[in-house]
Amino acid sequence: METENTADILECCKCHVTLESRRTDFVYLNYNFHVDVPRCPKCGQVYLPKALVEGKMADVEMLLEEK
Amino acid sequence: MSMSDCHTQSLCPVCFRLLDAEYEARGDTVHLCKVCPEHGPFSVPVWKRVPGTPNFEVWRATRRIPAPPQHPATRVHKGCPFDCGLCPDHAQHTCNGIVEVTSRCSTACPVCYAQASADKGGNPSLETIRQMFSALASASGPCNVQISGGEPTEREDLPEIIRMAREFRFGLVQVNTNGLRLGVEPGYAAHLKEAGLDSAYLQFDTLEGEACRTLRGKDCIAEKLAAVEACGKAGLGVVLVCTLVRGVNEGTVGDLLQWAVCQGKHVRGLHFQPAAAFGRFPKGMESEGRITLPELMDLLERQTGGMVRIEDFHAPSCEHPLCSFSATYVRLDGNLTAARAGSCCSASHPLLDNAETSRISRNFTARQWASPRSLPIAQYDDFDRFIADFGTNFFTLSAMAFQDALGLDIERVRGCCIHVVTQAGRLVPFCLYNLTSRDGRSLYRSLPDHEQPLSERLEQA
Repeated sequence: METENTADILECCKCHVTLESRRTDFVYLNYNFHVDVPRCPKCGQVYLPKALVEGKMADVEMLLEEK
Repeated sequence: MSMSDCHTQSLCPVCFRLLDAEYEARGDTVHLCKVCPEHGPFSVPVWKRVPGTPNFEVWRATRRIPAPPQHPATRVHKGCPFDCGLCPDHAQHTCNGIVEVTSRCSTACPVCYAQASADKGGNPSLETIRQMFSALASASGPCNVQISGGEPTEREDLPEIIRMAREFRFGLVQVNTNGLRLGVEPGYAAHLKEAGLDSAYLQFDTLEGEACRTLRGKDCIAEKLAAVEACGKAGLGVVLVCTLVRGVNEGTVGDLLQWAVCQGKHVRGLHFQPAAAFGRFPKGMESEGRITLPELMDLLERQTGGMVRIEDFHAPSCEHPLCSFSATYVRLDGNLTAARAGSCCSASHPLLDNAETSRISRNFTARQWASPRSLPIAQYDDFDRFIADFGTNFFTLSAMAFQDALGLDIERVRGCCIHVVTQAGRLVPFCLYNLTSRDGRSLYRSLPDHEQPLSERLEQA
């Protein structure tokens, strides 16, 4: 099962280097969030774990999209 | 002065004849104007242009993709508003279903859209109420439900009704109440919470005794304060609902808001309802005393010294733009900060899909108006902190402009997402259900239990 520790073993499919957990800025509807997610140190692409996307990110998105 | 695209339809407030109508700017106020061939001209102010408030035409012009009911209960026969419902021409499915479980209320306030009183009518049986919940769930899915009346807490079996609503898996189960029993009966709030209630939609017009006597017939502020406290202790969310009447309590909306944000975090929001001339109302069906939405925006900004600002307010995401405004804030130490500027659902957005925005709106209401959620045990990052803040510190400020027989706009009616469930299982937009003519006749409320769409009744008459 995938966990947050998988950042240690994830590899960037483009650069073939190991992803590192780095602070990443998320901006949505004028709100800024700083969250650590696995990132390629070479190209900067991030990997968003499914659990994060379907969990807290989805919760925040719904809360922001108030009427 | 006429405006572009200002045409709609309305009803004669005397005979309910369908009339062409148009919005017309007269001085600083936009009026809805119409002429009945039998009863003459009528006009009513709907949007007073106060400096700094939104432009009427821009606010009204929010374009939408209609989201008609998936299972219409009636066919189109005479056309809106005579075929409820809902009929296939309705443009918005249900966000909030209202189930009236009694027409009785011992308070019999001078202002009451339902014209409730201690000896009025009977109570529907539990089996009838179950059928009403079932009809709502079948037609509208997991919408939010408000148990209303009359005064629902005057029914001893209210906890059973709440449990029944829970069985249908509605998003939010709320009771619309004057709060008197919640305030005076120890343990009652906890009893309703145990039954599955999420939230009290609590009538709360003022903190001043004189205004309370004018609107409610007696000074019952102490009981209402006790109700707010009791709900907090029981873990119920509270939405304070203020009926607004010019010359009575429009001078204290700022005081009421500033008081509300200092109460416990279980007080989830404050909702204003400028009084409309239907049911029982104090000043006759005159047109000039009405408080329009931009006036209220201005009153709120000025009376709070700018704690809330006109620019915070945005048009609704599901009902018609002319029906309401709202804003969400984060509260801290008795102050409010706008949760964000603009909105994905605001009037500036080019095209709104009613199905999607109503889903979002329904879910937001269910989360925000229920009792506050507990903080997570650990907060690891900004997402966690935001979610925790929302659960405890968010506060909604909103207002809804009801339509009476003078101000009725068929375009607004068709966009309504607040529907009353009749005892025969039909859904009728809230304002149509409560609409009364100048001499007090109802358009829908007085239909007998074996009701038919109004168009069929007219045909048979």
